[in-house]
Amino acid sequence: MLKQIYKDWLFGKVAIWKGIRLFLISTLILFLTPTLKTFAQDKYTVSGYIKDQSNGESLIGVTVFVKEIANGTVSNNYGYYSITLSPGTYHLEYRYLGYHILEKEINLSGNQKVDIELISEQQELEEIVIQADPEDANVTSIEMSVNKLDIKTIQKLPPFFGEADIIKSIQLLPGVSTVGEGASGFNVRGGSTSQNLILLDEAPVYNSSHLLGFFSVFNPDAVKDVKLIKGGIPANYGGRIASILDVRMKEGNSKAFAAQGGIGSVFSRLTLEGPIAKDKASFIFAARRSYADVFAKVFTDALDDGAALNFYDLTFKTNYNINKNNRIYLSAYLGRDNFKFDENQGFNWGNQTTTLRWNHLFNDRLFSNFTFLFSNYDYVLAFGENEMDRFDWNSNVTTFDFKPEFSYFLNSDNEISFGGEALLYNFEPANAVGVSNGERRDVSVDRKLALESALYLANDQQIGSNITLQYGLRLSNFRYLGAPTDYYEFDNPEPGIRRNVTQVFQADEWETIQSYSNLEPRFSLKYQLSSNSSIKASYNRTTQYIHLVSNTTASNPLDIWTPSTNNIKPQLGDQWVLGFFKNFGPNNDFETSIEAYYRKTQNQIDYIDGADLLINELIEGDLLAGDGRAYGLELFIKKNKGRFNGWLSYTLGKTELQVEGINGGNWYPTRYDQTHNLKLVGFYELNDRWTFSANFTLKSGTPTTFPTSRFQIQDYVIPYNYSGSRNNTRIPAFHRLDISATLQGKKMRKGKVRKNEDYWVFGIYNLYSRKNPFSIYFSQDDDSLVGGEPIRTQATQLSIIGSFIPSVSYNFKF
Amino acid sequence: MTSTINKTKRLILKLTVLSLLSIHFGCEDEITPNLDDAPSVMVVDAWLTNQEGPQTIRLTMSQPYFNNSQLVGVQNAVVSVIDNENNEFTFAEQENGEYVWQPFNGEALGEIGNAFTLRVEHDGETYEASSVMNRVPPIDSVTFTFEEAEFGFPDRYSASFWARDPEGLGDTYWIKTYKNGEFLSKPSELVIAFDAGFRGGNTDGLIFIPPIREAINPLDEDGDGGFLAPYANNDSVYVELHSITEEAYQFLTEVQIQTNRPGGFAELFSQPLSNVPSNIRNMTTGSNKKVVGFFNVAAVSGNGTRLDTSQISRN
Repeated sequence: MLKQIYKDWLFGKVAIWKGIRLFLISTLILFLTPTLKTFAQDKYTVSGYIKDQSNGESLIGVTVFVKEIANGTVSNNYGYYSITLSPGTYHLEYRYLGYHILEKEINLSGNQKVDIELISEQQELEEIVIQADPEDANVTSIEMSVNKLDIKTIQKLPPFFGEADIIKSIQLLPGVSTVGEGASGFNVRGGSTSQNLILLDEAPVYNSSHLLGFFSVFNPDAVKDVKLIKGGIPANYGGRIASILDVRMKEGNSKAFAAQGGIGSVFSRLTLEGPIAKDKASFIFAARRSYADVFAKVFTDALDDGAALNFYDLTFKTNYNINKNNRIYLSAYLGRDNFKFDENQGFNWGNQTTTLRWNHLFNDRLFSNFTFLFSNYDYVLAFGENEMDRFDWNSNVTTFDFKPEFSYFLNSDNEISFGGEALLYNFEPANAVGVSNGERRDVSVDRKLALESALYLANDQQIGSNITLQYGLRLSNFRYLGAPTDYYEFDNPEPGIRRNVTQVFQADEWETIQSYSNLEPRFSLKYQLSSNSSIKASYNRTTQYIHLVSNTTASNPLDIWTPSTNNIKPQLGDQWVLGFFKNFGPNNDFETSIEAYYRKTQNQIDYIDGADLLINELIEGDLLAGDGRAYGLELFIKKNKGRFNGWLSYTLGKTELQVEGINGGNWYPTRYDQTHNLKLVGFYELNDRWTFSANFTLKSGTPTTFPTSRFQIQDYVIPYNYSGSRNNTRIPAFHRLDISATLQGKKMRKGKVRKNEDYWVFGIYNLYSRKNPFSIYFSQDDDSLVGGEPIRTQATQLSIIGSFIPSVSYNFKF
Repeated sequence: MTSTINKTKRLILKLTVLSLLSIHFGCEDEITPNLDDAPSVMVVDAWLTNQEGPQTIRLTMSQPYFNNSQLVGVQNAVVSVIDNENNEFTFAEQENGEYVWQPFNGEALGEIGNAFTLRVEHDGETYEASSVMNRVPPIDSVTFTFEEAEFGFPDRYSASFWARDPEGLGDTYWIKTYKNGEFLSKPSELVIAFDAGFRGGNTDGLIFIPPIREAINPLDEDGDGGFLAPYANNDSVYVELHSITEEAYQFLTEVQIQTNRPGGFAELFSQPLSNVPSNIRNMTTGSNKKVVGFFNVAAVSGNGTRLDTSQISRN
């Protein structure tokens, strides 16, 4: 049955080339008729790579603006740009936030390579740099519902336990929320945490948390760029229905060897980077490890006897610039959380990813990237002090992905992208063996195989000087394959209770048990109202073929991913967004935007009461499916310039589900529904050495279910809701203020410029010690259990963090 | 599986807390939120066994959640149980909503394999539920072993019961433990089994697996975050295996989820509050009066021992 896969590949390849041809022809006819006559004329291309002058890191999303045509392009994920123009003299402006603007005059009389190195605003100026209008990408870019956080901003935010954290920073953006402190992941526009595609150098990361949900798995020292796409999702992304979090790792300093690191209250970090061959090849290696166990050993003997508690991650990346047309990148990540009760018993989990990429320029206008990647998430549990009574259990999800992607810079008005993807999934929900009093039993659940493939075509098109369009189509296909696997048909009892197997079938290895195909249109429009304002609109459909099965308040490391099957349909999401973008002030001092979204989802997973989700061969019988809807308004005001800068984000939103068998089949708010969500972030640079920052969060309490009544069966007091409703009330509102101060080390020592840089970060999380509720739960008071006496019942409000948390970290760089 | 998972989680959480020693985490406050008003519904508590002696069914009314007063019994109901051999067992009303069947001459309530129907008539409404008395294996022995201090546990003697689940998939049990004659009635001490382990666990025909075998030890905290030893010298332990229906297993699973709330970090992984399933139906045509509760008829086996530390080796 490998043939089947091979056939899919072949099909994919043929379809890509057919598609390209078809697309090019139709694009030409439909959209380019007016320009056809000029097409005959000679045109030349100016292209190149854009880098940071200090360390050679390529810069993503640099605006390249051609003054003469009042139009331009943006550098791609590898720092490459290309513009095709008629012969002539042009002035190109390279603009990037936090960098000095560079202007180049170009006499175009043939194809020209212009590699650019931009100078960070924080660096001393050595060259002549032209000061021009600052950034206005917020208004002029076609992108909407997209937030970028550069790593410098993330590192300036008040830390949690002294750690800059990418996921926690994401939560400060509009449209993003979380069910509470300590919960892993984040929720975007009313989506669940598992509906976010988290990519680390293009590899999907299945669990983004260390230590349950307190820290995210990304080492900020190794991260270059973080981009959250909440809407108007381009056609090259697919597979999740709420958002894409695209995390790109640094490539490593190609100019000089550098080391940086830090010591905080939880982690210590060390990063090494440098050229392997100057401007040709470089590497970066970053490591973090927690040392709470080292401290804990001082206070308790609980960690003797082989017990362990730690988490760490390692990040490695290298790149090699073969020649001007070929460049390869290899990146790898390994993260692990490790809990051992003693030598034989414990629990550990983590992600591993490897990404190999090859950038190839067919010519100045056709850029391609081929990605091969591997991603794995697994956990291992072991119990039992001796061989007579043991339980060993591991579970994993493994993905192999091949992704060819092409950008064709047709002319200054059109950039065509096309490509495909084929992901092979292997799900092993449970490989488990139990031994009871010497008798061994295998209790494993069949592994599941699936192939997800996609083809896409898209075009970024400029029409006149006011209209930009981005339109595309993604065709996705999913096959649930035999491994070999038993698969089932279930009965249909009244909704909300366990469904029983009616028939069992066997599928051979690679046999297609179920196949789904979906056409996913993507469309974005920008209309420029004036030089500092624009209207944008977008629609996208996305499909999600794999599902995280989790019925707990916050997802946890044991949760398993499961493919769409003959019983589980793929999730579909449709989202419409309308936004108004305007910048204020003489130098675009303030960026503002207001966006309204409406999101409709299908085949959302919920669970019967008392569902068995772990080590259950018949898990499909415990799942329910329903519809979702979410809508809201997001307001974002950002001040980029000046000593005092920061942003305000406010979201008004609602998100609901309707599932037969829950809440009487009526709509109910999801656990992550938050009506109001306000975030304020501020930075103040006092002088060269001191920077202060603060962030404040205020949001509505999350929905929860309260009982109306109690009744007693045997000796148990059971809560009861008379109307059987779900999430009928809310916990109290959440608010929190965090502050921090960064002290830069002295730049000079004994009259000389120091080679080393260092800085301290002092922070207080939850400054005014607010006990923010995470949940309210109802229970009987076990102390009141005296025979025959009434049993007392109580409600308890739980705060995960009940006080302020001071932290300090020391960071260095040389 | 749920209970192993919960135990695992609790251990992990304890370690987590250890790792963040200096900080105040998991802070809990008792509160009294306003709850919606709701009508009272009748509650049928009918867990019968084939054990000797009178059998009791209790009919009460639900109360507002924070009402901590005595249960209100339902009066003037007619309560009977009929088995598939047409034997009728009449439950006579006593006080506080208790309805009791008195056996004569060592008579027991039916036998293994019988199907039973419970009928309750009250206030013009008729309620029914059905159950089957399933088989139950004997408990061969209850033993103690010595365990050294670890993870907040002191040096202790832990009890295990030894029984083998009979072959055939889907035997379900409620394991009830009595320490010095006192039923261990905390929600955290509610123990159920599917075959010799958990549902879906392929443990048919095995000796009950350790998480169940050893679940007969009370887990009481000492007030300093540690645990007390479950049994002291000369304490007695008596274990009963009650056969229950698969429906009752699901019911008790959900009772566990809804009542066993250890609090703290475990709440990150709690499931939403929802109503436990009842197997009592209102049979009155045209009536939509609600009723909750559960009816099960169990066969019971039991065994026990007394802890004599001088007889147990300490290594």
